[in-house]
Amino acid sequence: MIAASMRQGSAADAVDGVVPRQVVEPADPNELAATLQAASRDKQITVLRGGGTKLGWGRTPAAIDLIVSTAKLNTLLVHRHGDMTATAHAGVTLGQFNRELARHGQWLPIDSAFDGATIGGIVATNDSGPVRHRYGTPRDLLIGVTMALTDGRIIKAGGHVVKNVAGYDLGKLASGSFGTFGAIVDATFKLLPIPQASATVEASYVDGDVLAQDVMKVSTSQLEPMAFDVMLEGGQYRLRLLFASSPEAVSAQVESAQRLLSRPSTVVTGEPEMDVWVDQVRSPWAGTGAVIRFGWLPAKLADITTLMHDVQQMAGSIVMCGRVGTGAGLMRVDGDVRTQAAVVERLRSSVWVGNVVVLRASHDLKQHVDVWGPAASAADAARALKGMFDPSGILNAGRGPI
Amino acid sequence: MDERLVEEFCRIAGTENVLREPIKLLTYECDALPHLRQMPALVVLPGSAAEVQAVVRLCAREGVPFVARGHGTGLSGGALPVPGGVVISLARLNRVLDVDIPNRRVTVEPGVTNLEITKQVAPYGYYYAPDPSSQQVCSIGGNVAENSGGAHCLKYGFTVHHVLAVEAVLPNGELVQIGSPLPDAPGPDLLGLIVGSEGTLAVVTKVIVRILRKPESVQTLLAAFNTISEAGAAVSDIIGAGIIPAAVEMMDAVAIRAAEAAVHPNFPPADTILIVELDGPSSEVRELFAVVEDTCRRAGATTVEVAPDDTQRMRIWKGRKAAFAAMGRVSPNYYVQDGVVPRTKLPEVLGRIAALSQRSGLPIGNVFHAGDGNLHPLICYDERIPGQATLAEEVAGEILTYCVEAGGSITGEHGVGADKKDYMPRMFSDDDLDVMQKLRDAIDPRRLCNPGKVLPTPRLCGEVPGPYRQHPVEAAGLADRF
Repeated sequence: MIAASMRQGSAADAVDGVVPRQVVEPADPNELAATLQAASRDKQITVLRGGGTKLGWGRTPAAIDLIVSTAKLNTLLVHRHGDMTATAHAGVTLGQFNRELARHGQWLPIDSAFDGATIGGIVATNDSGPVRHRYGTPRDLLIGVTMALTDGRIIKAGGHVVKNVAGYDLGKLASGSFGTFGAIVDATFKLLPIPQASATVEASYVDGDVLAQDVMKVSTSQLEPMAFDVMLEGGQYRLRLLFASSPEAVSAQVESAQRLLSRPSTVVTGEPEMDVWVDQVRSPWAGTGAVIRFGWLPAKLADITTLMHDVQQMAGSIVMCGRVGTGAGLMRVDGDVRTQAAVVERLRSSVWVGNVVVLRASHDLKQHVDVWGPAASAADAARALKGMFDPSGILNAGRGPI
Repeated sequence: MDERLVEEFCRIAGTENVLREPIKLLTYECDALPHLRQMPALVVLPGSAAEVQAVVRLCAREGVPFVARGHGTGLSGGALPVPGGVVISLARLNRVLDVDIPNRRVTVEPGVTNLEITKQVAPYGYYYAPDPSSQQVCSIGGNVAENSGGAHCLKYGFTVHHVLAVEAVLPNGELVQIGSPLPDAPGPDLLGLIVGSEGTLAVVTKVIVRILRKPESVQTLLAAFNTISEAGAAVSDIIGAGIIPAAVEMMDAVAIRAAEAAVHPNFPPADTILIVELDGPSSEVRELFAVVEDTCRRAGATTVEVAPDDTQRMRIWKGRKAAFAAMGRVSPNYYVQDGVVPRTKLPEVLGRIAALSQRSGLPIGNVFHAGDGNLHPLICYDERIPGQATLAEEVAGEILTYCVEAGGSITGEHGVGADKKDYMPRMFSDDDLDVMQKLRDAIDPRRLCNPGKVLPTPRLCGEVPGPYRQHPVEAAGLADRF
């Protein structure tokens, strides 16, 4: 039953230039579990693939025997709109998911820079964007998970109620695991109502200190934006505040925000507003430069802008976008590999930032830096769990994060 | 316990912080679930993370089971001692280590109470969101263990959404940092696994939480209804209108009577009352609150009382939060359950509970978080009447079955602990539970860290008997999926 969908890997399946020997697209959860079981028995190095939009994240693999794709696990299983929860197979794309949910005025508030990003891949990477300011990252919205394990079993944790503390939360463990523990079969999320109205306030800054002061003013105010972002491009910062609520509340908050900012601002709504946020989410991923993720303490934004200035001096132009309310940033560094590596080192040696991870990197850059950075304090515990879930060590072997 | 070992514990924590006289151990024999009791061999009260680590290391070396305990307010026997084991009380680890307003985070030791965090930051206009009813006394370490919620978690989430990082001692004695004060720590979310693991994977010694800016406006109303289904319809309509209230609480006639007797909140004499709170920017609250008010009236509310100020708002909440303890006024004993159902199944499950109450002859009060379907049925009984305590437990178990059959959970916020571990097979398959056990064994291979909690021990203790054990829970779940 596995062989039916098994085919030879091709250049189009390559991960970091490494062509997998074989590719399989299981037709259902049982096939997925059986595939993993066989791969584990035969010690085949296995990479799980959703939409393949973030497949290059991680260290360069030495070899890949098998790519297991969730492409055929693409059913939106149920939308319990009265309960505001929904369950989808791992291979359902975020776009497909949200189009269905919108029919009942609901959405899964997660941003992705990539068309075709799947629910499974989004959970496995815990990738997020601007609306995390209000809604958190995927792990905060995930309430249940079904997983296929390397011993051939299909297990579940959590459930489909938003409040539930029964048993260990394996969904959390799957979040950010990059498919190192098992394959996500389906995921259940709590949903939110699509806000009735929205508007975005934009202002530009050249001086990092002035930007930081305005950000602090908004942070300490009682404004409640859905997204609170900054974008650095061409040496200029753009502050972007997205308000989404009832129409009256949006107007009132936009007005307060405009009064609060020291710089002149514009209000964007409708189609152009959507473009602003597409730009905000996608700009760091334009071109082919290295993309680095990093975090900072929100009140240290002025220091971050100084650091960005230094990095610009080193690298020429950079694009940086950040969630200034939480201190989560992405930076794209074009330039040559030596420069990119120097920027990574500069960030890792800075006292102002942490959790510096290189998400997108050329094969060359990966030879110069460890994309994940130093091991976490609880690495032994993570390895013990990895050993339990994947005793043959086949899943994402050598690519990390564990 | 071996004298030599006791001396070692004394050397670590100081003789005055090692309790072994039975009279002193009594305090620790149960948490807030008093029908489960067990005397520990020893209680140690370490004064620092290093001392906690030394205690755990010593337990690991000697193979002595240990149970971490905060302030003992847990409702599932999660801090129930183990025979011959050590209770590690974290009561002395009660320092607020850092209040960082600009970065909106607070670092505390586990023995700090939940409310203390809000007290520390309130002068600056901030608060800590998770607000279990026991927030004046419960410890943040216990909140981390149980992933505590509260009335406001419908909008703001649970402890797991507000903890950024912890320092913890693993069962092997290793002191580790889990999570990060900065966003996006790489790797699997171990922090999310530890939070809510009920003290079975680690002993937490430090917690970094995020705090929130106080909303500009808070509005609370209390609506009275003639039937619970009318109140339920109001909740559905409010949420169907795209409004996520900060809290939606419901109390039935039994609970209302009890609250009145205890703290006199002056609730209207109704079959059901609904408390709805909205918070956020003033403009938003003003606009949406009018919708909520109107929705309640249209759903058949006999009275709608809007709290005109903070004092009146606190009065409403006092009545709600006192409801559990207040049951003592109307019943000699009561048993609290914590099952969850999908919100749309509330009327159906409440109907089944009412029928069960009639059939069993035990009054059941309902106080619950209606917004997220978290029921807290209070089963009233009199332990002096032979057989009633057992009957109450059976009734409680049956209610959990209703919750699972409706696609819900056996516990929304109180935890599984020792109390509900035998109900776990109603929710999870043997494989699910086996993987959870293996996960636990990977972290605690010698099974010393809070053993006997969360996961059932079927072959040893025997599972809960009765006709429900074989119920096709998975089948019910699958039927819902397609």
